[in-house]
Amino acid sequence: MFSERVFALKNVRLVYTKKGRLRFVSHLDMNRFMSRVIKRSRLPVWYTEGFNPHAYITFALPLSLGFESEYEILDIKLVDDNFDIAKIPDILNGICGEYINFFDVFEPTLKTGLIAAASYEISFDDGGEIFDKLSDFLKQDSIICSKKTKKGDIKQLDIAQKIKNMKIEQSDNNTVLHLTLPSGSEENLNPELLITAFYEANQKEYYCYNVLRTAVLDKEGKLFR
Amino acid sequence: MDEKKFEQLLLTVQKPGRYAGGEINSIIKDKEQVSVRFAFCFPDSYEVGMSHLGMKILYSLFNSKEDIWCERVFAPWPDFEKVMRDNSIPLFALESRDPIKDFDIIGFTLQYELSYSNILNMLSLAGVPLRSKDRDSLLPLVVAGGPCTCNAEPLADFVDVFFLGEGEKVDLEFIELYKEFKKNGKSKSEFLKAAAQIEGVYVPSLYDVSYNADGTVCAVTPKDDAPFPIRKRIEENLDETFYPESFVVPLIEIVHDRAVQEIFRGCIRGCRFCQAGFIYRPVREKSVETINRQAKALCLSTGYDEISLSSLSTSDYSCIEPLLNDMLDWTKEEKISLSLPSLRIDNFSEELLQKISSVRKSGLTFAPEAGTQRLRDVINKNITEEEILSSCRTAFKGGYTSVKLYFMMGLPTETDEDIKGIADLAQKIVDEFYHLENRPKGKSVNVSISVANFVPKPHTPFQFHPQITKEEMARKQQYLKDCIHTKKISFSYHENRTSFLEGVFARGDRRLGSVIEAAHKKGCKFDGWDEFFELDKWLEAFIECGIDPHFYANRERSYNEINPWDHLDYCVSKEFLISQNELAKGAITTPHCRKKCSVCGANVFGKGVCFEKR
Repeated sequence: MFSERVFALKNVRLVYTKKGRLRFVSHLDMNRFMSRVIKRSRLPVWYTEGFNPHAYITFALPLSLGFESEYEILDIKLVDDNFDIAKIPDILNGICGEYINFFDVFEPTLKTGLIAAASYEISFDDGGEIFDKLSDFLKQDSIICSKKTKKGDIKQLDIAQKIKNMKIEQSDNNTVLHLTLPSGSEENLNPELLITAFYEANQKEYYCYNVLRTAVLDKEGKLFR
Repeated sequence: MDEKKFEQLLLTVQKPGRYAGGEINSIIKDKEQVSVRFAFCFPDSYEVGMSHLGMKILYSLFNSKEDIWCERVFAPWPDFEKVMRDNSIPLFALESRDPIKDFDIIGFTLQYELSYSNILNMLSLAGVPLRSKDRDSLLPLVVAGGPCTCNAEPLADFVDVFFLGEGEKVDLEFIELYKEFKKNGKSKSEFLKAAAQIEGVYVPSLYDVSYNADGTVCAVTPKDDAPFPIRKRIEENLDETFYPESFVVPLIEIVHDRAVQEIFRGCIRGCRFCQAGFIYRPVREKSVETINRQAKALCLSTGYDEISLSSLSTSDYSCIEPLLNDMLDWTKEEKISLSLPSLRIDNFSEELLQKISSVRKSGLTFAPEAGTQRLRDVINKNITEEEILSSCRTAFKGGYTSVKLYFMMGLPTETDEDIKGIADLAQKIVDEFYHLENRPKGKSVNVSISVANFVPKPHTPFQFHPQITKEEMARKQQYLKDCIHTKKISFSYHENRTSFLEGVFARGDRRLGSVIEAAHKKGCKFDGWDEFFELDKWLEAFIECGIDPHFYANRERSYNEINPWDHLDYCVSKEFLISQNELAKGAITTPHCRKKCSVCGANVFGKGVCFEKR
């Protein structure tokens, strides 16, 4: 009975924010977390048919431990074609705690492999101290970062040309950097690389910072949906 | 501390999820609206502590009361401890992140002796004076419960109040009384005197201990009308006992990451080495209906896809088959897997095997505990070699190709013949596999034997016996290794140095307090973890305090001697323990509680298996 329905699975894409204490949850642990939320929701999701069935869920783009995000994508499959998907965010928000907020749901238009970039907002707790230095650092024609390859070697990488939509602001308490970096399966740059390179170049004082992912984009630079 | 700074520091350590809080079903209250704040401390890592059922029960129970806010605290891993000390972050509770030194009650659960150094380390991290006498004000009170309170003496200098037995009722009565005394501005000593009158409450400072010239206890004398002996508390009707409808679901993976359903307390068997088998008497069961209802609620509120039944010797549950039938029905429907952790060899039927293997085919584990029939009779294990072999046969027929067997080494009356018996038994099981015509084809068999070190524990018939020395234990382990001649048998054993320290504390007295403090000052912590355990530092601490650890671990105790724990009444009489020990010497077994009452003393509660029809 179950398998007859498989052809009618409905793909559903959910978008949520992940903030506060939940940013200490790694990608792997997030997977467990969401599986349990989905199980508690009793939504008609498709379960894998192995010996230990579990709800089928996919995260479009992993988020580094410690980052917050305003645009996290979770894909699920429903076995009930007539289910009103608009109800899903409220159902999930009722059980997933205060640090996750589902705010959008739709049938996906793009495959997750087509993610091309992500935008970030990085705020430094510097009292506005590093604004000038950071501006100068980012104006350079070449910005060399050290990136660990999968084999464990350190590779030198010039990312100056890869940074898009950059904007830097100063307020009384902090310096805020907005930027877009390549993201996804083809090329992936973590903003930590840039911050580390900046701190290495300016070995004076270290300021705390917070990274917030603000958007996930497709090749045209449009919001990924 | 500033929240942002704190969170940045979290990002510098391993597994920050251990300290972040914010888990689903964790409880946040308004601290202005509660009258008692309780810091429930588990003196080990988050992953270990969050797996513990007792903590989940009491956390939910306390928080079900509007005016109590109970929060969780775990021992920070050494990397984060360093960050805390470097940045002057006092030990805090996960929910509010408030320092626990400002709480009303700091409560520890004592699950194993090797966590004692962590208790002192946590108090020191909290900024709370270690010794009870150095804490003058009513709050924070330092209290402790759990199995190790059955000999609480080594911690008597540090802990204000111990709870004996099951905590559900006594803890709440205690907190009620505390509320009243706090409101009326009473002193700590006034409160402790009053609290000692609650059954199950042991206030060590109200008892003087004197010693004989040979170092043994001369007398334990109560003061200020404190009760003597102090009797443990139990829950009389488990169907009416509080059980949580939800667990805090951890954000990081923990040791036992699943829903846990308790099905009964106590054990009918009376294995003579087993402390749990004596201190949790009498056996009391939950009904099939209660278990199903509670288990469903738990799965629903946590989203766990695995549930495990919890008890000693699970297959002794009187309605195990109807229970499994009911549970398998709905768990299958809900795509939840069911696991049974504790099975006995002698009532392990083909039906039972089929039921568990329809769920999850993990390895099978049995505990013969000793290698020869004589020694199994000494420890009152009450299983025969034929039962062991036939259970393995059943398992092999059912498609299993590996079995794990638990044994102990260093048991009273043990000889090298008994050690060789372990290897012989494992070999017979291997042979059993190859004699089977319809054995799983094309597969080899693996019998893994895991040998723990026997540590004599208080309130058991073996409490009088010396623990064998580390050196003798090492010799026995080597001898067993030499007796194994096939790769189909794999052998693992336990670290001897930690067992020695465990043995010292298990039957220790109040004079060990100074040793624990000295070892703590030398940096001892996480003693249960091989990578942190430093016996040398402990031995230095013993020497500095002028205390011989062998006096506690390796000495035969006479029946007349007053043991440091004799005034703690677990309702199993000393006469019974002595008679059991005498039977052990003659390798004579005692039938289990359902077959025949052996008059241990646990019937004083008027409940449980003592009053079942036989």
